[in-house]
Amino acid sequence: MAGEKTISVSGLSVSYERKRVLYNIYLELEAGNIYGVVGPNGAGKSTLFKSILELIDTSSGEIEVFGKDVNEVRKRLAYVPQKDEVDWNFPATVRDIVLMGRYPHKKILQRLNKEDNDIAMQAMEDIGISDLANRQIGELSGGQQQRVFIARALCQQADIFFLDEPFVGVDITTEEKIIQILKDLASQNKTLLVVHHDLSSVDEYFNKVILLNQRLIAYGDTETTFTKENIAKAYGPQLTILHKTGLFE
Amino acid sequence: MQELFLTLTQDEWAIRALIASSLVGIMCGTIGSFIVLRNMSLIGDALAHAILPGIFIAFILVGYSTIGFFLGSVMAGLLTAVIITWIQHNVKTKNDAAIGIVFTAMFSIGVIGISKVSTGDGVHLDLKDFLFGTVLGISNEDIYLTLAITIYSIISIIIFYRYLFITTFQPTIAQTMGISVKMIHYFLMLLLSFAVVSSLRAVGVILVVAMLITPASTALLLSDKLKNVIILSGIIGLLSAVLGLILAISLGGGIAPGPTMCVTATLLYFIAVVFSPKKGLLTKFILRRKQKSKIEQEDIIKHLIKNRKEKINIASVSSALGLSVNVVKKHVKKLATDGVVNQNGNQLMLSIKGNESGDSLVRAHRLWETYLVDEVGLEEGQIHTEAEKYEHILTEEDLDEVDKHLGFPTKDPHGSPIPQKQIKPANPLLKLKLKSRARIAKQQITEHIESELWELGLTPNMEFRIFKIGDDHIVLKTSDKKIKVNEELARQINVLI
Repeated sequence: MAGEKTISVSGLSVSYERKRVLYNIYLELEAGNIYGVVGPNGAGKSTLFKSILELIDTSSGEIEVFGKDVNEVRKRLAYVPQKDEVDWNFPATVRDIVLMGRYPHKKILQRLNKEDNDIAMQAMEDIGISDLANRQIGELSGGQQQRVFIARALCQQADIFFLDEPFVGVDITTEEKIIQILKDLASQNKTLLVVHHDLSSVDEYFNKVILLNQRLIAYGDTETTFTKENIAKAYGPQLTILHKTGLFE
Repeated sequence: MQELFLTLTQDEWAIRALIASSLVGIMCGTIGSFIVLRNMSLIGDALAHAILPGIFIAFILVGYSTIGFFLGSVMAGLLTAVIITWIQHNVKTKNDAAIGIVFTAMFSIGVIGISKVSTGDGVHLDLKDFLFGTVLGISNEDIYLTLAITIYSIISIIIFYRYLFITTFQPTIAQTMGISVKMIHYFLMLLLSFAVVSSLRAVGVILVVAMLITPASTALLLSDKLKNVIILSGIIGLLSAVLGLILAISLGGGIAPGPTMCVTATLLYFIAVVFSPKKGLLTKFILRRKQKSKIEQEDIIKHLIKNRKEKINIASVSSALGLSVNVVKKHVKKLATDGVVNQNGNQLMLSIKGNESGDSLVRAHRLWETYLVDEVGLEEGQIHTEAEKYEHILTEEDLDEVDKHLGFPTKDPHGSPIPQKQIKPANPLLKLKLKSRARIAKQQITEHIESELWELGLTPNMEFRIFKIGDDHIVLKTSDKKIKVNEELARQINVLI
């Protein structure tokens, strides 16, 4: 059902070693939308994802996903983390990694079968890496590695996707391809959250936006929310960045 | 030799040792893959050393008993793990230092205890056996226990393969999928302590870690797929253990099997370091040689293209590029057989094909320079050496991408023209060999080419034969006349063969 409430966050606060990262966040997210999560460095964008996914301890606040505790609905969530501390020499091929997306759908003694393989192949094809299926992951370029993780998320056939800076190191053609895939997912009533840095493409990519700088600055339809005033509030003294985007003349 | 064979097939102690070692080799090899990939080598070593006091206490309580030793060791191992974890969480000591402090202390207590009891009368408890393994002291119970543990380990690795894989590769993702990273960690620690304990008699506590990490590291050099790595590692572990045991027996003189197994495993490791088909030093060396030759050959082509109007011979190439005459001769010979360079007496000239690859090298160089200035923001002075390096590495596809990204520039930062990539016909006339026959294709790449053909009197489907291939032109012979076509046009004319 379009507009179905998928994630609700109320009063979320997070601190790392007594340093406040997120403060008193309230959000209600609905299915069928792509949310751009935007804010300066250190605004707590990745932390917001990790809190919802319960990868870190939160200081206070309630988070519900599909009206339940996140641990009950993990199967329906896919996460594409920043391309961080992965051991690129690991003996794993592209296909192996993408197939990991099928793991949550399998019971402990169930093997991966042909159907799983087909779904993985389709995901790789959609994102244009099917010719790399048998490559060891360290042999890929940065953009290709990023695409492998996105393909895994697709292969997971989740209902909510968390993508943390998925376009870093990806060329423009691929970026457009990926955003098209994300838009298709949204039209299939999925919920997508994307941490994004390039302010100039926000209104083109996302129909909803979440502006964050430790506090929630604003969220809602991109048209009405992604305004000069709100951006200025979120970025504060870092306005120089904004001039580059052409949003401030 | 014959004697050794008889010993291994007929003496019961030797057969027992052989079976136990094989099992230990397989088990340590398979579990070892995960130990290495999870950076747990030190923990493995620590657990192995730390089981010694467990043996001492078990001996005091129940005497010489396989099950007693097993339980004592597992308890000691778990106690060690608990103490290490406690220190890591509650005391400000570095993690690896905490491991080192605890296991050396446990080991020392074990050494003191066992030395003390073994000095008593009629006690068969030799410290050396526990430290380095023993050939003679393996009992049937030891074999049954090791067999049970090996089967248990292998079955659980098969069952939990996916979980082990994903928690080792990307623990955060495993967590978001609802897989308990902690549980898998403890499970692996349990397997590890089982492996260590059952290796006690065959290898000894000091060198168990070698059986865990050396075969696995060897396997990691040989394969890029986790499943294959695990299987290979098991096989290499088996080989190391069996060959090591045979070495120990044949050397005689009471040599403990632990050290010989370790040496064998290390030997296999270094063989892989040198000869691994994909990651070996030898392969790298050969690749580097090939790459160097390719770069030198491309430099020769570039030299010829830059000095198109001068007379170039081997000696002048040699001095211009700083390569020895012999090296240049070798490269020129290769380039000539590839049809890139023509030798006219002493003089070297690029063939039509050579000109083409020269152009694409120049294109690579200049495009990359443009990229470095426009996109990376380097100064003009900084870019030449960089481009000199990358022009040899970038593939045609990479370059097309760069070209498109830069918006098809025509001039490089120094103002020199960038050779434009041609739209190539499917079967260019230029590629035909002397005397071969073909027809003019109906489909040409542009209308301009079609009208050029018309003017030359070449119509679609007209048959011809290559009559002569010159330095900058080709002569065709049709049924009634000879037609000279220049190189540039011949490159663009599409033909049917």
